Amino acid sequence: MSTATPVTLQDSSRTRRVRGGSASRPPVGAAPLERSRRRMFWAFTTPAVLIYVVLFLVPVGYAAWTSLYKWDGIGPKKWRGLKNYQTLWQDPIFRHSLTNTLKILFVGGILTFAFAFALMLILREMNRKLFARSVLFFPCLVNAMVFGIAAGVLFSPTGPVNKTLEALGWSHPPQWLATEHLQTMILGTLVWTATGYYTAILMAAVDQIPEYLYEAAELDGANAFQRFRHVTLPMCWDVISVCAVLWTVSSVKIFELILMYGGSSGSQPPSDSWNTAMYVYIEAFPTASTPQLGLATAAALVSLFLVVVFTVVLRRLLRRDPIEY
Amino acid sequence: MGSSTGRSPRLLAIATAAVLAVGVSACSSSKSSTSSGSGSGKSGGSFSYWSMWRQDEPQAKVIQAAITQFTADTGIKVNVEWTGRDVAKKIGPAMAAGKAPDMWDEGADVIYGAAAQNGNAKDLSAVLGMTIPTDNEKVSDAIPSKYFDSLPKDPDGGQHWVIPYEASTAGVFYDSADPTVSAAMTSQPATWDDFIKVCDALKAKSEPCLASEGEDPWTNGLWFDYLVSAGGVNFNDLATDKTGASWDNPAVLKAAQQVEQLVKGGYIIPTYTATKYPAQQTNWAGGKAGFLMNGNWVTAEVAKQIPATWKYGFMLPPGATQPDSMVFGFALTKNAKNVSQAEQFMAYFLQKKTLSGISTVAGNLTPRTDIPAPAELADVQKTLNAPKLRLTFDGVAGDWTTKVWNQNYLDFWHGKIDAATFVAKMKSAQVSFWKSQS
Repeated sequence: MSTATPVTLQDSSRTRRVRGGSASRPPVGAAPLERSRRRMFWAFTTPAVLIYVVLFLVPVGYAAWTSLYKWDGIGPKKWRGLKNYQTLWQDPIFRHSLTNTLKILFVGGILTFAFAFALMLILREMNRKLFARSVLFFPCLVNAMVFGIAAGVLFSPTGPVNKTLEALGWSHPPQWLATEHLQTMILGTLVWTATGYYTAILMAAVDQIPEYLYEAAELDGANAFQRFRHVTLPMCWDVISVCAVLWTVSSVKIFELILMYGGSSGSQPPSDSWNTAMYVYIEAFPTASTPQLGLATAAALVSLFLVVVFTVVLRRLLRRDPIEY
Repeated sequence: MGSSTGRSPRLLAIATAAVLAVGVSACSSSKSSTSSGSGSGKSGGSFSYWSMWRQDEPQAKVIQAAITQFTADTGIKVNVEWTGRDVAKKIGPAMAAGKAPDMWDEGADVIYGAAAQNGNAKDLSAVLGMTIPTDNEKVSDAIPSKYFDSLPKDPDGGQHWVIPYEASTAGVFYDSADPTVSAAMTSQPATWDDFIKVCDALKAKSEPCLASEGEDPWTNGLWFDYLVSAGGVNFNDLATDKTGASWDNPAVLKAAQQVEQLVKGGYIIPTYTATKYPAQQTNWAGGKAGFLMNGNWVTAEVAKQIPATWKYGFMLPPGATQPDSMVFGFALTKNAKNVSQAEQFMAYFLQKKTLSGISTVAGNLTPRTDIPAPAELADVQKTLNAPKLRLTFDGVAGDWTTKVWNQNYLDFWHGKIDAATFVAKMKSAQVSFWKSQS
């Protein structure tokens, strides 16, 4: 969405052809600006790469190494090879956790973005949209812990929610906090908090779209949905694709919400509500048994692998030629 | 585990540190120059301690008072951190990082699971031979050996990896002054069928028989633990059987069917599957159900909620003969440095006058038989006077509980599966669990 992309930096096939196919090495006497930029590349990149290697690649490598052992974190490591991965594969709780992770990712993602788009549609045309945006963003500021605690009071069978529903004539309101509903509750809370966050980001992109495009569409007789479909959506596609990646990465990591909804009196949440992050946490920090760091790191690596795969696939699926305006 | 070896270099290090500390405090007048105050005749030094209690809990107040007196009496400083129940999660990583305290406390099951079973808790046999100050009796005389005998062994075969200061058992609590309960139950039921009759009588009066925190597999699982034990099955043997064949024992199915009676009979407060702790405990304290299965700490937890007319009754599920035993106590971490100071504190805390606070202030039981129980736990103390104790769930530890027991039992307790299905699911889940552990 940048308004002035310098032509010199676009290393398209056409410019390469013009340069005679020697794009990787600038000919002697290339533009001084480009030469100095190339000199600066490593100076600026090296620290970042170093930090990335030390803080990310090395720990991931160490985790991969640990995942091949049975280890309680204190005593000696015992070689297990790929057996930890085999254990994960055979463990019905891990498979269930994986399904839950995917449910959060896809079902949660689709709902969140459906709501966010609907809100985009409404907010753009709305009076006092700044106020509305603040209200929508608010749930994102509240810590998941608060939801976990508040849910115990709000959604208990005799809590205010059910009291209200009964007053409205619903004789048997749902048992919100029953184990079989935990996942839906977690998903609901997640969608509710995330919608405001993504709406805020998307609205920032929508605000950049020039008003005359909407006016022109309106003059052509486009209704609100058509304006969204033909103006808003293509104009902020880049931001949408970034949001989709953000959601993928963050949804796989969710775990405090699950812990707070399910666990009470210091106990673990029921395993039916776990996702892979929760699985890793329970294996690494059990309450009354030995930590299984090998198994935990193996599960964490499976999660990492998932995130990488989904991110790459998403980026490919959402790739469009950028529209400049 | 050789806690005495290397004591002299340690003492030398402590002495050096003390000299340096005195030197530093002499130079700087700003910070607590009085705290070093190792007067003549006092051994001095310090040790670090992470406690399972939060600072506002009564046990913490009792221990804090003891610490203050201990420091005044011995000159040994205690660097205590009121970590709360998270101590169980923090202690392993802390030991791995070399940042663990010298001493910590928790339930024996947690200490065993998190440290002792892997040899990460020091042997405390030496403490048993120590004399308790002012009482002039040995620790081994004050704490009945049955508490140690019931504990699982560490890799060195030792059972002295914890020094207990609080004893407890689990069972069925009720208010014997509740007119509905006393009408339904003239004396404690001797058989399971008698108990079900009591439940029926309560149900007829529209009072649910049981309160239950539906999301908790531990307290609800105690029913099965007791009933299976009454049928002569050791829960630990059942859980560690790699073939799963033990689940075919008819006594196991019978226990499951008895639990099923509670669930299917409609004897539990109807909302139990959809509330969070402590909602149902509060319901029970408010007289909305007859019985509650829990550890005996529950009396202290609901002390402020029950009316003055309340009179505690306690029993084990009919058929059960041996009470479950759970002790809470002090343990030393594998690399504890100030072993002698911490051990001195353990013996010091067991003094009758100090330990009585666990009963009088915290409203719980101590392992010392000469400290009277709080009135509401008198029956429980009598139960714990049994000559032999068995561990809760016969000491089942580790990942089995998480992977095999918790969810399957909750499904059963919530009425989603029947007794036969529960037994079959447990068996198959257990077989695949042990296969994955090899």
